[in-house]
Amino acid sequence: MARTYDFLLGGAHNFAVDRELAAHVERVMPDARSAARVSRAFLGRTVQYMVGQGIRQFLDIGSGIPTVANVHEVAQAADPECRVVYVDKDPIAVAHSELMLVDNDRAAIVHADMRDPDSILDHPQTRRLLDFDQPVGLLVLMMLHWLPDEADPWALMARYRDPLAPGSHLAITHVTADNQDERLTEVTDLIKESRSADQLTERPHDQVVALFGDFELVEPGLVGCAAWRPAGRGDIADAAEMNMVIYGGVARKP
Amino acid sequence: MSQPGSRPDPRPDGGRARELLARKWAYLLSGVAVIPLAVEELEHELREQIDALCAAAACDPVDTAAAERVGDHVVGLGYVGEDGLRRTVEVLGKGLPALPGFQRAEQAALVIGALAAGFLVANRRVVFEQQERMQLSLLKAVRDAKWHLKESEARFDSVVTSSASGIMIVGLDGRLVRTNAAVAEILGRTPAELTGATLFDLVHPDTVGMLREAMRAVAEGGQDRVRQSQRLLRKDGDVARISLTASLLRDPDGAPSHFVAVVEDGTELMLLQSELHRQALHDVLTGLPNRQFFGTHLESAVRRADPVHGVTLLHLDLDGFGMVCDSLGWLAGERLLVHVAQQLKSVLAREKAMVARFDGDEFGILVENTATTPNTAALAAAINRALAEPVYVDGHGLAVSASMGVVRGVSRNQEPAELLRAADQALRRARRGRRGQWELFDPGRDTADRSALARAVAMPGAWEQGEFTVRYRPVVRLADGGVAGAEAVLRWDRRDGRLPHERCVALAERTGFILPLGEWLLTIAAGQVRWWQRDASAVPLSVALTAHQATDADLVSRVVRVLDATGLPANRLAVAVPSAAVTAPDVADNLGVLAEMGVRTALRDLALGPDDVAAVRDLGIHSVRVAARLVELQSRADAAYVGALLPALVETGAVIGVDGVVTEEQAAWWREAGAELGTGPLFGPDHSAAGFHARLRR
Repeated sequence: MARTYDFLLGGAHNFAVDRELAAHVERVMPDARSAARVSRAFLGRTVQYMVGQGIRQFLDIGSGIPTVANVHEVAQAADPECRVVYVDKDPIAVAHSELMLVDNDRAAIVHADMRDPDSILDHPQTRRLLDFDQPVGLLVLMMLHWLPDEADPWALMARYRDPLAPGSHLAITHVTADNQDERLTEVTDLIKESRSADQLTERPHDQVVALFGDFELVEPGLVGCAAWRPAGRGDIADAAEMNMVIYGGVARKP
Repeated sequence: MSQPGSRPDPRPDGGRARELLARKWAYLLSGVAVIPLAVEELEHELREQIDALCAAAACDPVDTAAAERVGDHVVGLGYVGEDGLRRTVEVLGKGLPALPGFQRAEQAALVIGALAAGFLVANRRVVFEQQERMQLSLLKAVRDAKWHLKESEARFDSVVTSSASGIMIVGLDGRLVRTNAAVAEILGRTPAELTGATLFDLVHPDTVGMLREAMRAVAEGGQDRVRQSQRLLRKDGDVARISLTASLLRDPDGAPSHFVAVVEDGTELMLLQSELHRQALHDVLTGLPNRQFFGTHLESAVRRADPVHGVTLLHLDLDGFGMVCDSLGWLAGERLLVHVAQQLKSVLAREKAMVARFDGDEFGILVENTATTPNTAALAAAINRALAEPVYVDGHGLAVSASMGVVRGVSRNQEPAELLRAADQALRRARRGRRGQWELFDPGRDTADRSALARAVAMPGAWEQGEFTVRYRPVVRLADGGVAGAEAVLRWDRRDGRLPHERCVALAERTGFILPLGEWLLTIAAGQVRWWQRDASAVPLSVALTAHQATDADLVSRVVRVLDATGLPANRLAVAVPSAAVTAPDVADNLGVLAEMGVRTALRDLALGPDDVAAVRDLGIHSVRVAARLVELQSRADAAYVGALLPALVETGAVIGVDGVVTEEQAAWWREAGAELGTGPLFGPDHSAAGFHARLRR
């Protein structure tokens, strides 16, 4: 999915099969590119916000192909001291990230499955770069809708939140059907039919809010990710639904 | 923004025009491309590129290599892609020729062409790099994980990828086979209306020939694709200027089967983009900034706030807005909101302030205070004064008041979210303070209620139009039938009939309009009674207050104002409050202060319960008026029950009156039971001032 996402963003970090899926998605949802763009823009604003809140270390779960406007670029542009740990389970994404980060000793990629938090939190790279006595910016973007309810994403998120120091921030984006017509269902079906092992579970607002646990959502709360502190024209999509199809929010550990 | 008449732009290179163009370019680009730059940074980058393009164009011959480098640079900004190039060419194609220094038509064409060439080369390079890196990554991953990638069976068939553009599948005869929603949008027609139509029906007659020609050429293989600027006919009669790209689809045997056409709305693009941006930060209805925008603005305003004066944050909620919508419909409600938005803006026009619409009927105002900013109370009063001006919506004069929560923030370290929360809490407190009154005014909203509501909300306008008059109802001594006082009542002469006092008051009570209306009634009547005092026919004035008036924190000051203005002595005025309202906060205080001033106090609508008797005693009430419904009840069957309660009341020493007396029998019974005064149909109708005076002198 990460590579399809990259294609939707306009990148070439993908294979024919990824582009095929993207084309299918676009056929049903012609604005999928803008949804991808808007969610990417959310990532940038979130990281900038967190840096503004004093966060200097980031853990990005499901970073995919960290191409344009990625976390370490945004964060290190604000403060070169920022440290970033990327996590992905796709071996190609991991390989790509390793190639990309070869000269950056403040960023690293961990090859792990998000469903196994211990393997991520205890990974030597994580321990090397992140100090869990200090606030961490935890990014779980465009990931949790790949977990079905049976996998209990709420319990999973608790395991990520618990070891973080007070003042840590958590950002989540999550696909929702709250504001959608039937087109999203078609996309879901498409993804199911595709050979991707990932299955999409859209969730309603309250279920996404619950993923933040006892962290306190900062203003404006959990909203369509385009509506989360938009700062410019690039932060919103032309089609209103595309601004609302992905929920985004940032919460702070009290 | 430069002022009209100010000095002209001193820069000979049209710096301002270049800046505007850069801004437009950045705007269009960021709508389709992923560029990891803040808006200002991107504008700055593009401004430099425009300078480079201008310099390239100024060379003779045009420096195309320099323009190509600009194309290369644009690719480097991020994921720009074909959409980004399209927008770039559009914006520069229009903008560059208008800049100073572009005298010859070919200058812009050469520069843009070179830019596109540079873009193409750089983009291809980037794609290759990315693809190569992916291959490398793949190899590395396989090597690292000893992982075997299943060979992909899927073929990437060349599908038309699209964004928000209109896409049509068109038969070789021009018949529309399939269209997407964007096509319908561009044409202002429903998809159903498009099925069966031909593309040629939808194209302007002047240019349809050109399109037919080009499509035939493509079908015959003479040309790969069509790309034309076209004019399409919208259902509403307007013409949509679009760009149309069509290419051929072939069946499995290679024979031409259909066209696929992509339609892009060129004219709307700019408008649409700016509109969408505005929508994201502004409320569509009122044009005011929305809560998001307000939040962001608040953050920066607090940070730059004057350390002495700070900022003032107001959170407003319109009173009775739901009633306007329920009775006159949402459209009227929306127009009222637009009016409120304008009024708020005009009230704050002199301040450095942002007025925003939150949700529904809630507004937020942020004032960056200066030494001349009015204090909070003055500000709130000015706002309510402005809102009280009626606005005419569908012939109904509407006015509203607002509850407000106000916070003054001075510390730059204050959390904006905290300020918002505090203002919200203050608003809730303000509303809670009124709830004792307002709960009474929230009747069930059934359909039958709607016309009543419609009348209620139209009252302020009707009042301004002079549809209300003050009438005088005789208060009669039961002993001898002589007139002992005048009760001032309202009458509303509507086109569709006349509304008597009780109905007027009940309606005005629901909107809160009773407060100004009641004060007006009191002023007119007090002036009248004062005038009658010139001769011997003077009688005291009695005014019945509603529950809302009785609990009004300003009741005393209103009465003082009227007495001062008219010169009526306090002891010639009796105010009667509903007995059911005496337990509400402030009523006892109001009555106590009025009594101290010499105003006669009365309880009306008395149900003759033990609480009533206690209230009369405890509050030192001068007189009571038994409810009309008890008078009626008594005359039917339950005389014993009513009579049993009277002696205790007589014992308090208060003057007893009865309302709604219809028959001589009723008058006689109550006189026997100890009542002194009465009102009701038996004693004649309400009179105009002149009529009442005549009756006094009779």
